[in-house]
Amino acid sequence: MSVQQQPEPRPPAAPPPGGAGAANVTPAAVAGGATAPLVEMRHISVAFGGVKAVDNVSIDVRPGEVVGLVGGNGAGKSTLMRSLSGAHKADSGEILIDGKPVTIANPRDAKNAGIETIYQTLALADNINAPANLFLGREILTGVGTLDDSAMEDATRKVMGRLNPNFKRFRSPVRNLSGGQRQSVAIARAVHFNAKVLIMDEPTAALGPAETEQVRELIRQLKSEGLGIFLVSHDIHDVIDLAERISVMYHGRLVGTVDKTDVTIDEVLGMIILGQPPDKLNREQIQSLR
Amino acid sequence: MRKRLLAMATLTVLVFAACNSSGTGGSGAPGGTGAAGGGCLVGVSWNNYDQERWKKADEPAIKKAIEAGGGTYTSTDAHDASEQQNKDIDTLINKGVKVIILLAKDAASITPAVTKAEQAGIQIIGYDRLIEDEKALYITFNNKRVGTIMAQELLAVQPTGNYAIIKGDPGDANAKFLRDGMDEGGLKAAVDSGKVKIVGEQNTPNWDTTGAKNEMQAILNANNNKVDAVLSENDGMATGVSQALQAVGLNIPLSGQDGDAAALNRVALGQQTVSVWKNAFALGETAGNAAIQMCAGTKLADVKAPSDLPDASKPADLASHPFTTPGGKTVTSFILNPTPIKKDNLSAVIDSGWVTKDQVCAKVTPGSVTPC
Amino acid sequence: MTSSVATSEHETGSLRDRVMDLVRATEIDGRLLGMIVTLIGIEIGFGLYTGGSILSPVNLLTFATQAVQIAIIATGMVLVIVSRNIDLSVGSVLGVVAMTYAVLMHEVFPTTIGVDTPYGWLIALGAGLLIGIILGAIQGFLIAYMKIPSFVVTLGGLLAFRGLVFDISGGSTQAPDDTQFVVLGGGPLGSLGGTISWAFGAVIIVAIALYLYYNRRQRRRFGFPVRPMWAEVGIGVVGLLIVVGGVAISNAYHWPAGLIEQYAAQHGISPEGLVIEAGVPWPAVILLAVTLVMTFLATKRKFGRYVYAIGGNPEAAELGGINTRWTIMKIYILMGILCAISAAISSAQINGATNDLGNGYELLVISAAVIGGTSFAGGVGTIPGAVLGAIVIYALRYNLQYIGLPSNNQDIVIAVVLIAAVAFDTYSRRNAT
Repeated sequence: MSVQQQPEPRPPAAPPPGGAGAANVTPAAVAGGATAPLVEMRHISVAFGGVKAVDNVSIDVRPGEVVGLVGGNGAGKSTLMRSLSGAHKADSGEILIDGKPVTIANPRDAKNAGIETIYQTLALADNINAPANLFLGREILTGVGTLDDSAMEDATRKVMGRLNPNFKRFRSPVRNLSGGQRQSVAIARAVHFNAKVLIMDEPTAALGPAETEQVRELIRQLKSEGLGIFLVSHDIHDVIDLAERISVMYHGRLVGTVDKTDVTIDEVLGMIILGQPPDKLNREQIQSLR
Repeated sequence: MRKRLLAMATLTVLVFAACNSSGTGGSGAPGGTGAAGGGCLVGVSWNNYDQERWKKADEPAIKKAIEAGGGTYTSTDAHDASEQQNKDIDTLINKGVKVIILLAKDAASITPAVTKAEQAGIQIIGYDRLIEDEKALYITFNNKRVGTIMAQELLAVQPTGNYAIIKGDPGDANAKFLRDGMDEGGLKAAVDSGKVKIVGEQNTPNWDTTGAKNEMQAILNANNNKVDAVLSENDGMATGVSQALQAVGLNIPLSGQDGDAAALNRVALGQQTVSVWKNAFALGETAGNAAIQMCAGTKLADVKAPSDLPDASKPADLASHPFTTPGGKTVTSFILNPTPIKKDNLSAVIDSGWVTKDQVCAKVTPGSVTPC
Repeated sequence: MTSSVATSEHETGSLRDRVMDLVRATEIDGRLLGMIVTLIGIEIGFGLYTGGSILSPVNLLTFATQAVQIAIIATGMVLVIVSRNIDLSVGSVLGVVAMTYAVLMHEVFPTTIGVDTPYGWLIALGAGLLIGIILGAIQGFLIAYMKIPSFVVTLGGLLAFRGLVFDISGGSTQAPDDTQFVVLGGGPLGSLGGTISWAFGAVIIVAIALYLYYNRRQRRRFGFPVRPMWAEVGIGVVGLLIVVGGVAISNAYHWPAGLIEQYAAQHGISPEGLVIEAGVPWPAVILLAVTLVMTFLATKRKFGRYVYAIGGNPEAAELGGINTRWTIMKIYILMGILCAISAAISSAQINGATNDLGNGYELLVISAAVIGGTSFAGGVGTIPGAVLGAIVIYALRYNLQYIGLPSNNQDIVIAVVLIAAVAFDTYSRRNAT
């Protein structure tokens, strides 16, 4: 990492790699399948002991698209995403980025492939400050190999200026920050390194209403910049509001992926709770959910 | 799970097998006492095997005497922890020893284990360190006399002036004996008459060398280096003291005990006045020999010391004597005599095989003392 | 801890607030400041008790030199504890290395390269360092890659390496060391001497000034807020005074009469009126160097950043793509190196090695780190803090010895200080936010 690579504010609607002319496509058009997927996960299985946490699941995300990943507790959505972020290696299946198969064995592989993750736990080291967290594992070094704390602080000031202009505590350990401030550090870390794909695991779970709205606004902005985003959430309204497509998991299996415009909230709820695609559900079953 | 249980079971069997082979190997049927203690298993409980002399002298001498009497030797090491030594005694009881030679870390806290052993019909020999028990045989050097010799030797070369005393571990009865012995050796009289002033006196936890050095530095600084002699209760601490003295350019009378090679080298170099040497070969032989006699059923009062002990250590008429403990008990005991090693008799200790000439004479100007 | 600083009465605002503001402006670690104040408090207390005699240069130098072995290892123990591990084996590793030095110089060299050769002590040092690294690497590998808890591994090390000491020594005390080696132990003969001490002090003062200047320029470069100029100059002046004071105290200790006589006799001059300044002891120079290098590793290198990140949140460190295992292993290798350095000083101070050398050091080292503000919860601790912690322990121990308090009661006093330090820490953290 060198000083020259300080991030500039991301130009709006950067052309997504490999996607011809995708910059000006509307989300709806993208969802219609006009572009090739940015990331494809094919037939992924992950087992813990004898339990199949993820069982033969295939999903994908395209540039400038948000795919909502929903399901009940233990449905396997976090495990699936962890195998994409490198936190846990999948037992079988393949991952394609821009159509090319890649191996993701650890978090470094994922980051090198342009996949950044915002974990539900935020994954911040509480005892060090925001710049140190933002650059954790990717520190900026001086010419003699020492940490260039000033350059990292400078870069952090710039990215935070865009994400959370009120953020001022750059030299304080992040344990002293509020929940929203900590969240913005975690988001800054994900967006600073020019990610192509963003995994957001319950990004609003710990936030108040104002901060939640801020995060939603950010997701819309990142989407318009051409990122592919996997949004893991149990909040169905978040998903309906932000996502183009919704993938539903149930007991480790993929129930189905539906276009937001094709389904009602009730139908999605039916998929989550009963584990059946909408066409297999009858009116009474859906009614019974109310 | 099943596999692990099996592995553990196998391991347990192996450990037992190993213990048995080392514990009772060569002995006849357990409990059988033939002629002269045949098949007698003798256990030694070391308090801390980590000191030079045990490995070098005591253990081989004990072992030799036991095996000469047809017995078998086994041992445990408590690593300087009294609670561990209690457990060690249990181990020896379970191994089926007839006699335990006990080098107690702490005289008081070992009592429960000793009682337990005696209830199991095992006889105890208190070795080198006192245990307060009338049924035990106490074999030791005259420890008080070690202190007496130290004081006598130092007062002989430095009859007046400021004395510092670096004592051993505060929990070790020996440290107190030594101190009492110093008073008997004329220190108290010299202090009372005003000839000698004690300007510093400290106990050293674990007889630690660096600790002794640090204490000596404090005493030197507190007295502007006006110290004329140092009574150190052993050679290990004398190593630290000597370094503290040399660092401020002092070369004053210094005592020690144990006959450590490094200390004897200092004696040869003129940096230490005396190392009081307890001929551990003689002590070990006495204990091993007594254990065999006790195994054969000899009454405690009739046990004799071996007749081939060196003259310097030999107790008069080879008989045991009653010894009154600080706790007021009367214990049957063999008290051997310590030998002061000074510049003029260094050859004796080399001849005995305790140390080599090279060790004693390192960095010594050839011809400056007799053996070098 | 700050109430002792006097400010004029007519200023507005509470005294405490004003003092806190002043301290904050200098950006000095409050914890460190507290330790220094404690140390000064101890010295003033004992000074009053002894009518000032305990404050003489020789006393200050003696306890500072005694603390060095523990302080050196404590700088590494900080990183061990910060990374949520422990190292109980330090005393035994020190014992193995010290015995290696002594056996080489006492038994091996006489029959091979000869005693007191100009390079023999360096060969010994190299061999000891290598052994320290190997022992550290073995333990580090078991902890980091085999995932065996560090408590278990280093407890094993504590026992096994102490056993190894006896195998190396054959059970006997090995003494003496080469004469060049003994210099590392300090004392009048193991010090820099008056003139070189001043030169040494001058180098440090220049280094402090350059460091302050570089930092300020670095922050200016990015337009960050900088300390007020008065604080910057103030820190520089305080640093200057500490260095000048330290060298002055060291030089105020003159060779004692016995050494002067030996020296005069050797050089055929009259000892009458001969005064030789001892100067800064070598162990102090070594400790300063170790502290600087360790602080640099901890705060200016990726390695240190990763150690703190692992301590703060091991999962976050792993997800950040850090090679946590190699980082942990490196900490233990570093411990081996520090033990080897400390072993050289320990061995030099007693001019040889006894089998018990280093016995019980693990608890002293851990105490120094904890008194210095290292938290067992992980992620928190500073290297200068641990060094000060060691010095506080030895200042107390030495001063209590000096006034002749029995050894068991010394232990009680030190225990109370240890617990008080941690209690104060817990209290101030709870009230910090």
